[in-house]
Amino acid sequence: MLALIELKRRKLQFGLVTGVVALISYLIIMVTGLGLGLNEQAGTGLLALNGDHLAYASNANLSVIRSRLTEEHVAEIAAAPGVEQASPIGYIAAVVAHGPGESDTAATLGVVPGSFAEPNVVEGEQLSGPGEVLVDRAWVRLAGTAIGDMLPLPIGFEAQDFTVVGIVDQGSFFFQPTVYVPLEDWQALAYQGDPSSRPAASIVLIQGEDLDGTRGDAWQIVTKQEGFRNIEGVQAQQATVNALRYMGLLIGTLVIGVFFYVITLQKVSLLGILKAIGASGTFLATQGLLQVFLVTLGGALISVGLALLTEATLLSSDTVPIMFTTDALLTSALSVVAGGLVGAALSVRQVAAIDPIIAMQQQ
Amino acid sequence: MAILSLRGVTKSFGEGAQRVDAVSGVSLDIERGEMVSLVGPSGSGKSTLLAMVGGLLTPTAGQILMDEVDIVQFGRGDRTRYRRDKVGFVFQGSNMVPFLTARENLLLVAQFGGADKSALRRRADELLNELELTSVADQLSTRLSGGERQRVAIARALMRDPMLILVDEPTASLNTELGERVVDSLAAEVHDRNKACIMVTHDDRMAARADRLIEFRDGRLLNDGST
Ligand SMILES: Nc1ncnc2c1ncn2[C@@H]1O[C@H](COP(=O)(O)OP(=O)(O)OP(=O)(O)O)[C@@H](O)[C@H]1O
Ligand SMILES: [Mg+2]
Repeated sequence: MLALIELKRRKLQFGLVTGVVALISYLIIMVTGLGLGLNEQAGTGLLALNGDHLAYASNANLSVIRSRLTEEHVAEIAAAPGVEQASPIGYIAAVVAHGPGESDTAATLGVVPGSFAEPNVVEGEQLSGPGEVLVDRAWVRLAGTAIGDMLPLPIGFEAQDFTVVGIVDQGSFFFQPTVYVPLEDWQALAYQGDPSSRPAASIVLIQGEDLDGTRGDAWQIVTKQEGFRNIEGVQAQQATVNALRYMGLLIGTLVIGVFFYVITLQKVSLLGILKAIGASGTFLATQGLLQVFLVTLGGALISVGLALLTEATLLSSDTVPIMFTTDALLTSALSVVAGGLVGAALSVRQVAAIDPIIAMQQQ
Repeated sequence: MAILSLRGVTKSFGEGAQRVDAVSGVSLDIERGEMVSLVGPSGSGKSTLLAMVGGLLTPTAGQILMDEVDIVQFGRGDRTRYRRDKVGFVFQGSNMVPFLTARENLLLVAQFGGADKSALRRRADELLNELELTSVADQLSTRLSGGERQRVAIARALMRDPMLILVDEPTASLNTELGERVVDSLAAEVHDRNKACIMVTHDDRMAARADRLIEFRDGRLLNDGST
């Protein structure tokens, strides 16, 4: 096969472009992974909640931080048509000291023990009453906390020790690992003022259907995904990451396009000879596209290998917010291959236009 | 019935004052089994004529009938098949594919479709042998000498058993003895298999080994007779 033999005999030329494709593809994969990782840290804790809708205070602009709901609101929401189950959730960021001179922020969520809003433990026990806390695996990795340990959560200027009873696997929220306390404890953590004027919850987790857009005087219901998209920074972050990805893809397409265009130009007289002795334009174009396909596929596979290697080494720590899913790896690799074929379209036209008479003239 | 008939074939390049009539109103018939040499000074239009007959250039006027079919009227697909199946073209340069070996340059034409590949492999061995190329068959064509390259080009032109063989300066880089052997094997191919061949040459001794000699001057036939 002409295309394959040429690849084999011009290893340096094609090896170089394969390398460049691999690097571009690697960049795209890393950026995609960064996007996923940032999303993960921004709000998996929210997405992992066991419900499909969320209710926010109307004036909160779908911000969990700003949303405050009263007992009445929570009751109204629970009674709204279409709501099957509703359970209030509180949120506050708490700075937790977990070692001499060491402290980190935990996204502290208040849930009603035993409700569907309480995440299931992967180890230990569910919450049974006040003074207990469930910690996420991310927190365990960060602080080394174990079941039975005491976790000091700040109330005003003091700290109250909570007993770690279970470990959950819910992910992060607002780039912080999550911990879960009984809703009443959350009220105490979040508001030190007059107990009678304390808000009942930040948001309400809902199970039900066709609720998107349902609203009361002071609250509104949206899908969980909508809530996720409105987490502070998520949209900007996604837009940035996507811009970088598309840029990478565009650069890849252009590089491959230009490379094969140059290669085609170099081979004009050779292609003319082949046409003169009976090769069809379709045959020659197919050979060219086959080369582009193999080079980009090779580059993409190398980049996937590099990415997996990176994951196994550099990213095994929790500090770099990059994660890969099979889906993301495949999509990135395939988009590079597709980009390469698009880039090669220019050369295909060039090949089709070659006049075999140049075989006679370029001697 | 002539295998090839040219009727008033004309080719001009350029316009107005720059216009060059490379070939002007050439008519001739070539029969099966005929080996024709085409001679004439440089720039007299020999290569241009060959390119038109080979389906690489379209005449400005006239007809080129191959087996009574006018190839001038061919569309893209017919033209490609004509070049592939009907004509074996040996260009003035050797025109090898540089990254292929001698043998691969022959087998190349098997990839263009429309033929039995194993038969072509046998044909390649046969031709390599006939043209004394067996020892260099697996050398990259860039490593071959000029004469070897030229013989590979001839072998490649014969691969698909074309009815018409067009050869531009086949012996330019061959010594006399080898040149004569190459021309004789071309002539044998033409006579034994009832094909036709037009061979452009500057070498009178080579020209004399053909059955018929056509002399060109300024794009016109000057002489046409048997050798
Ligand atoms: N593509 C072209 N454009 C313009 N003029 C051309 C072109 N091809 C050939 N010519 C002109 O046509 C004339 C005939 O050229 P051709 O190559 O057929 O000569 P030739 O007999 O093969 O010469 P040589 O023996 O040197 O190979 C020349 O004057 C040449 O300059
Ligand atoms: Mg010439």
